Parts: sequence; C-alpha cells; structure tokens
Amino acid sequence: MTSISAAARRPRPAAHRRTPGAWAVLVSLAVLAVVMLLPFVIITFNAFKSPAEYSSHGPLSVPKGFYLQGIKDFWERVDFGAKLVNSLIISGSVAVLAVILSVLNSYALGIGRIKGRVWILVLFLLANTMPQEVLVYPLYFMSKKVGLYDTRLSIIIIFTAIQTAFGTYLLSSVLSTFPREILEAARMDGAGRFRILWRVVVPISRPTLGVLFVFFFIWTWNEFFLPMIFLISNENQTVPVALGVLQGQKLMDATMTSASALLGIIPAVVFFLIFQRTLTRGITVGAVK
Amino acid sequence: MFKATKALAALTAGLLALSACGGGGDKGSSSKELKLWHYETADSAMGVAWNQAIKEFEQTHPGVKVKFEEKGFEQIQKTAPMVLNSKDAPDILEYNKGNATAGLLSKQGLLTDISSEVTKRGWDKMLPANVAETAKYDAKGIMGGDKWYGVPNYAEYLQVYYNKALFDKYGVKVPTTFDEFTKAMDTFAGKGVTPLSNAGAEYPAQQYLYQLALSKADRPWVDRFERYTGKTDFHDQAWTYAANTFADWVKKGYIAKNSSGIKAEDAGTAFMAGKFPMFFSGSWWYGRFEKEIKSFQWDTFLWPGSKMTLGSSGNLWVVPKGSKNKDLAYDFINITMKKEIQNTLANNGGVPVAGDPAGVTDPKNKKLIENYQTLANSDGLGFYPDWPAPGYYDVLVAGTQKLITGTASPSSVLDGFAKPYNENLSNIGH
Amino acid sequence: MTQTLSAPPVEAVHKPTRRPRRGLPYSVYLIPSTVLFIGVILVPFVMNIGFSLTKWDGIGSPQWVGLDNYTKLMSDGAFWSSFAHNVALVIAMAIIPLMIGLVLASVLFDVIAKRFGPRTTAILRACIYLPQVLPFAVAGIVWAWILAPENGALNAVLKAVGLKSLQEDWLGDPKLALYTVMGVLVWVQIGFPLVVFMAGLQRVDPSLYEAADIDGASWWRKFWYITIPQIRPEIYVVLLTCTVAAIKSFDKVFILTKGGPGGATNVPAYYSYQNFFEKTQVGYGAAIATVLTLIIVVVMAVLVSRQNKAEEADR
Repeated sequence: MTSISAAARRPRPAAHRRTPGAWAVLVSLAVLAVVMLLPFVIITFNAFKSPAEYSSHGPLSVPKGFYLQGIKDFWERVDFGAKLVNSLIISGSVAVLAVILSVLNSYALGIGRIKGRVWILVLFLLANTMPQEVLVYPLYFMSKKVGLYDTRLSIIIIFTAIQTAFGTYLLSSVLSTFPREILEAARMDGAGRFRILWRVVVPISRPTLGVLFVFFFIWTWNEFFLPMIFLISNENQTVPVALGVLQGQKLMDATMTSASALLGIIPAVVFFLIFQRTLTRGITVGAVK
Repeated sequence: MFKATKALAALTAGLLALSACGGGGDKGSSSKELKLWHYETADSAMGVAWNQAIKEFEQTHPGVKVKFEEKGFEQIQKTAPMVLNSKDAPDILEYNKGNATAGLLSKQGLLTDISSEVTKRGWDKMLPANVAETAKYDAKGIMGGDKWYGVPNYAEYLQVYYNKALFDKYGVKVPTTFDEFTKAMDTFAGKGVTPLSNAGAEYPAQQYLYQLALSKADRPWVDRFERYTGKTDFHDQAWTYAANTFADWVKKGYIAKNSSGIKAEDAGTAFMAGKFPMFFSGSWWYGRFEKEIKSFQWDTFLWPGSKMTLGSSGNLWVVPKGSKNKDLAYDFINITMKKEIQNTLANNGGVPVAGDPAGVTDPKNKKLIENYQTLANSDGLGFYPDWPAPGYYDVLVAGTQKLITGTASPSSVLDGFAKPYNENLSNIGH
Repeated sequence: MTQTLSAPPVEAVHKPTRRPRRGLPYSVYLIPSTVLFIGVILVPFVMNIGFSLTKWDGIGSPQWVGLDNYTKLMSDGAFWSSFAHNVALVIAMAIIPLMIGLVLASVLFDVIAKRFGPRTTAILRACIYLPQVLPFAVAGIVWAWILAPENGALNAVLKAVGLKSLQEDWLGDPKLALYTVMGVLVWVQIGFPLVVFMAGLQRVDPSLYEAADIDGASWWRKFWYITIPQIRPEIYVVLLTCTVAAIKSFDKVFILTKGGPGGATNVPAYYSYQNFFEKTQVGYGAAIATVLTLIIVVVMAVLVSRQNKAEEADR
C-alpha cells in the first residue's frame, strides 16, 4: 500500500522541461488566481477599517491602520468560539458520515451494479433536486415530535442525507469505470465483498473520497438556510447563522461583516489546505496493476 | 487503516453525543428566568436603552435572571411562527409591526392579547393614536383593530438628511416649501451634482415614491391603502402624480439613472462620504450618521409641503402565547416605557414613543423628537408602502426600478402595483 | 455500522481458499442510506405534495382545496417566463465552469504539476477554489462594491486604463444585469469542477499519456483523446449537479439583484421560496416546489440514463 504519485515516480523527460510556453501558461494562471482573489482582498481591507473610515472613504479604499476592534467586538458579541465549535461538530460529523454512506451506496450501485440502479440513484438524487424549502415544514413537525427540534443532531441528520446523495452519485459513476481485472484478482484471492471494498476499492478511490470529504465539510460549513430554521437557541448556532445578526432590518454593519466573514472562512480555508494533500496523494490504478 | 477507521468512528460517536444534547441545560433550576429576544445591535439607541432596562429589571426582581439572546433579523422573520408554536418560545420578544408580521401571528393565535394589561398599566395613554394603530389588530390580523397584541417602545419616521457643506458650496438654502425644494435640486443638477442619494434595489426608491404620493393624500387614502377600509385606485391623483414625478425626477437628474442596482447601505454610505447633498431616509440612520460623519456638518428637515410622511411606531414587544412568565414580561415592558429608559433611547439618537424633550440634552436629538411629536400628534405618520401585502416589497422594488431605468411607463408601473395588491385582497377574503 | 468494523482478519487474504467467499448481497449496503432517505427526503416530499393540495399558512389546520394551486400556477405567466433566465443560469453555473474547469484541470495536472511541481499546482488550485468557501451573502456585498456604477472598482479600473467607454451600470442596467450575474456565478463556480476533475485525473493510468508522448501527440490531442474520455464520469456528475443547482437555486441571484432591475433576473425557484416564507402561502409554495422538483427530476433522469447507456457502451 505505497502511495507514490505518478509524477514523482518518473524521471523528468523532455516533455517536462520549463519551456517559454510553459512559463506563459504559469503566468496566465497566476493572473487568473489574482483575479479570483480580488474580492478577498477587498474584504480584508474592510475588516481592518473603523466604521468611520469606511463611511468617509468608501469600501474600496486601502485601510489606514489596523482596526481590530471590529473583530474583537464581533467575537464577544456572538460568542464566536462557541459557534466555531458548533460548526466544527456539525460539519465534521456530516463529512464523515456522508462519506461512509456514499462509499457503501456506490459500492452496491457502481460495482455491484444491482438491478434498477438508475432508479435508485434518481431517487437518492431527489435530495439534491428538491428545493430546500420543501424540507422545512415537514422536518419541523417531525423533529418536534421526536424531540430533535433545536438540536445540532437534527442538522447533522438532514445534511448527511443531502450530502450523501451527491456522494453516492459521484462515487458510483467513478466506480462504474473501476477495472474489472482488479476486482477479479481479489476475488480469486478469496476476498469477500466487504474485504474487496475495504482493501481494494477504498484505497484506490482515495482522491475522490478526499474530494467528497472536503466538499461535504465546506458545503455544510457554509449552509445558512436550514441551520437558521432548525438551530433556534444561540448556543446551538453555527458560524453563518451568527453572521446573520449583522444584517439588520434596514442597516448592516459592513466593516464588522467583513471582519466576521474573514473569521468565518479561516477554518474552512485551513481545512481545505490541510486536506488538499489527500486530493493529490493517491494510488493510481496504473500503480496497482 | 483499521486504526484510522476506529479513531474516526470514535470521533464521530463523540461528536454525535455532543450534538445530541441540544438547547442548554436550563431545566431543573428553581430560580426564575425571563427569556428575552431582540434584534437591535448593542450600540444602537434601542440596544443601549433595553440593556439598561434589563439591568433595572434584574434589580427590581431579585431572583429572576434575564436570559437575553441577540437574534438575526432574518432568523426571527423566517422562523417566528415555528418557534412560537414550539416549547422553545421565548417569554417576550421584539417583532415587526404590520399585517404580514405581527398581524399574521396574532391571527394564527400565537400571540397573547394584552389589551387588559395595556389599560391596567396605562400604556395606551402614553401612545398617540397614530402610533398605537400598529399595535392593535383585528380578528383577521389587520392593523388598527380592537385588540392589543404588542407595545411599541420607539418610533421611526423619514426626513431629508442634508449636507451643509455642499449646500453652502452651491449656495443653496434649506427649502421650506416644495417649490424651493425643486429649485434646490435644480441648482444641484445644473452643476452636475445629483441631489438625491437613492437605492433602487432596496427600500429607498419606493420611499421616495410613496412620499410623493403622501404629499397629495389624506388619512382616509392611507387607511384604504393600508387597512383596506375602501378600494384603492392605483390610477388616482396621488399615485399618478407620484409615479409621473418620480420618472420626471430621473429624467431631470434629481435621481441618478444608474441607481437602480444600488443597495440601501451603499446609498447611505455615499451620503456619509459627502457624494450627495441629500438623502431622504429613516430615523434609523440618525445614530450612525451622528457617530460616523466627521468630514462635514449635516442636519435634517421634513419633506417640504407635505402633511404626511412615512413613519410609524417602531417594532413591538410581543408576548407569545406560550410564554411561561407573562407577568414578568409585562413588568419588563413597563420598565422600558419608563421615562429614564425612554430618555436613554433619546439621548442615543433614537425616537422614544413617550419621551420628554426636556430630558434630552443634545439640540439635534431634541429636534429629532420634536419633529416626531409634531407628526404623531397631527396624525402625520403615513406608514410604509410595502405593508399592505406580504411580498409587496419586492413588487415595489421591481416597479421603481423600471421607473429608474425607463423600461416601463409610469402608468404600466402602477398597473404592476395594482395586480398583486388585489390578489392579496382576495387571498385574505376582503 | 458495528458490522462494518468487524471485518475478516488480515491473514485471510494470503490463504488460498477453496471457493471464493461472497459475503452479504450488494443490496445490504444500501440499507442505512435507504432508511435515512425515507425519513429525511421521501416522507417530507410526500408531505409536501399533500400541503400543495391545501390552502395553509404553516400553522393550524390546512384547508383542502384540491388542485386549485396547480391550476393557478399553470396560468401564472410570470412564473413560466422566468424559466428563460434559468437557461442563462445553467450556462453560467454548469456549462462555462465545466469547460473552463476541464481545461484548467488538465493544464494544472499536465503542464504545471509536471514542470513546476506539486506545490505550485496546489497553490493555484487553492486560489481558484477559494470563492467556493466564501458564504455568498458576503461575496454578494463585495461584488456590489466592485460593480457599483459610481466609484465601483471595475469602472474605476476601466477608467484608469483609458477604457472609459466600457464603463457600465453593471447590475442596474436591465440589458446587462443578467450577464453580470452570470459572470459572478462563473467566478463562484469554477473551483468546483476544477477540484473534481483534478481528482479524477489521478485515476488515469499514466502509461496512456506516456504512450501518447512517445507518439509525439500534441497537448490538445491528449486532452481530447485521453483526458476527456478518462474522466467522463466526473464530467457527467459535474454537469448534472451544476445544472440541477442552477435550476433550483435563487439565493445567489437574489443577493446580487433581488431579481431586478424590474424582474430582469427573476428565476422560478424564488417564487416557491417567496410563497413559503414571505407570503406564508405554504400551500401554493408547496405546489410550485412540487412542479419545480418534477421538472428537475425529468431533466436529471434523462441525463442519468444517458450516462448509464454511455457506460454500458464503454464496457
């Protein structure tokens, strides 16, 4: 179970030299990256402005100093540490559970190719196709009945179902192209179905599983609507719901919104950067063969 | 691999266990608690005053703790019926006034009828009839009814904020009549300065339009429009004048042609940055302007030549049906109506419903309150145009945007206002 | 779940067994999710259909009206005509990001990673993915600042480089607003296909590219004949999920323009949301949501069964 990436394994042949054309590609991608980041620069500017400076010089000016009061005030006002913990619990649980369920489902659909798989898939995907507001009233009544209204567990259950639908679809599509020879070889070795899943399919699909894990975490992290409906008490709220207190009825607080947005995305960005490695470090099918 | 799985499984189990214990461990405590929600920021006039009220309440009610939670406006708006219909309802909360909000909740039976408390504690005597109208609802949830479902603590109204430096620079005097007002705008437009800051994507544009209509209207007109006491004709003199004048002002450059995509925040910020000489908007900006405008002097005047202007009571204190401590909730409301708290509100740039200008030190704040009292006592608060039907705000935004971009004639814009209005009437059975 | 953890011991692999062991049937693997889906998705969906046959404000007892809500919806011209804007959204949220994502993924994987190393690749990918992390409520505020007609960053830049004639009222001009919204959506969206495709490329057998290199194939030929066919599953998934998201979502458009100016960017999904939560006409909202769901399911079923046929043909 070595994880050598395909690129590192090979020497650097002629095709891998840094030609002028390659440099041109690099430069244009760098320009694109800068354009993508521009809005983040503007958010950072405003996060460090005092409200008075924002009001007199507008949102696009470069801040004259480091005004940290906005971040500090916001942190205390919404008890941000507690919101971070809530968001971590919810997003972490959803990401883990949804990846596990996606693997199980797609093993049956993509490799097992059980009968009626297209229809099963379409049914699962109902979770993605339904506008989310459809869930609000039914799940409100159901969660009240079983005592889950205003608990983090209710949100974990709901989003595990929603994210699993996407995971099942992506993974079963990928697994349906899984090389049959490898499965056959494992079977000849006497491995049972579960063992094949665990020892052959999961390791080879690691890059895709990494993608799912990252996506589920970040998508759940950023969810606003359903958490707003189901997490009523302040002590259960997530980061995006807490950001909502800054959007008043007629006014909003632009500098504090910027500051809090910056605070709110840091965990998600850190998470992405950590797990970015799993996106590239995998065993290619070729390496296993 | 297996170790990792086990660790992951343990982690998940732990997270799930953590997440299952939900809404706090508040059960079993013998001491009483008043659960209170509102959505005003801590440094706003209301935030400061109500914070003081909480302290006073805890002093006068030993053994009772106020469990205050600051909420997001949107969360309260979207979830109030569900929360109030569950055992997680607070004992008292701030809620929006109007048919589609407090009116709907009262109709759904989610709010306590507090009429007897209101008369017992004398709150009705503190509120001018024009202001009290938004606290009383009928059986269909329409305002101006016979039963009290809430108590307003502050008021709001619109006025023209103006930049003294720009007025001086272009030699414009503060207008006192509508003619002078148009002349002033002409002067600015002639010098290439757009006189009015506007935001077409949000509430400011429709408030200009409605103010124009109000200047040609009377109280029965407002009652017909807002309380369905008679048929509203969207092609009557007031509406026609408003739509035509608005379109005309865009043509003349009083309102910028490129303001259709602007948000209210950006219109206010542009005024604060000194880019526009005037901004017609609500008293909710007042405290912020006072705090944040440093580079020029500013003042306000009421819309010239109009008996009525946009405004009403502020949001209401309401007591949910499921409130476990109704008497404590009434006590709390009573404290917020006291003179000291009302004056704190005033001194922080708010408009108290039962304030006393004598207790207010800053002359500008004093004027803010006096203007309000003039309006409230002369029956001059004309409410807001988006109240008559749920979702009407979006209709008005779309219509005024068309007037700004010139993609529809004033007459067809008025047709666009009439259709959803009449649909709502048939929906609620009028 | 406990069952999954008690797997056979490791040594079993090395012992040749008489008959291959099969284990539980594949359908067993679907049980946990099926239970979850019935509870969280299917039952609410059926309940929603029930609501759609009533007049109801969300609290109290609904009042049965039969198919009234549906007949009302069928004659609602504004709703149906706003579907035209969905075509634009599908282009902006699915088609363009898919194409850009494909090219970017391939370039990053094939050119940058090989010549400039994995770290450079990772940084570039992270930058392009970042918009996906930002809550759109905040992104919307920032884009409004950038696109503002007076003093907006974009118009200021155009003025600075002498292209004053290109200055526009990006979100306020009814002829332009939809295109502007599309542009912002592309910005949000391209990170998603990029990451999916780059992960997909990890699966591709490197010997395919090596063989092509030996044959002296151009980059475009490799892109067309190796990359695209090899990650076809991912392409289908991105196309379908982004198309679905484009049809059912309205939040991004509404944060940017509120459907304006004057309805120029209104989308059907907003009607359902508005009836649920602003007009509290839950019955009518439920009817709109049901119709919308059915339309999307049809689109989706067509795509999925196409994909399935293509897969069968590949085998």
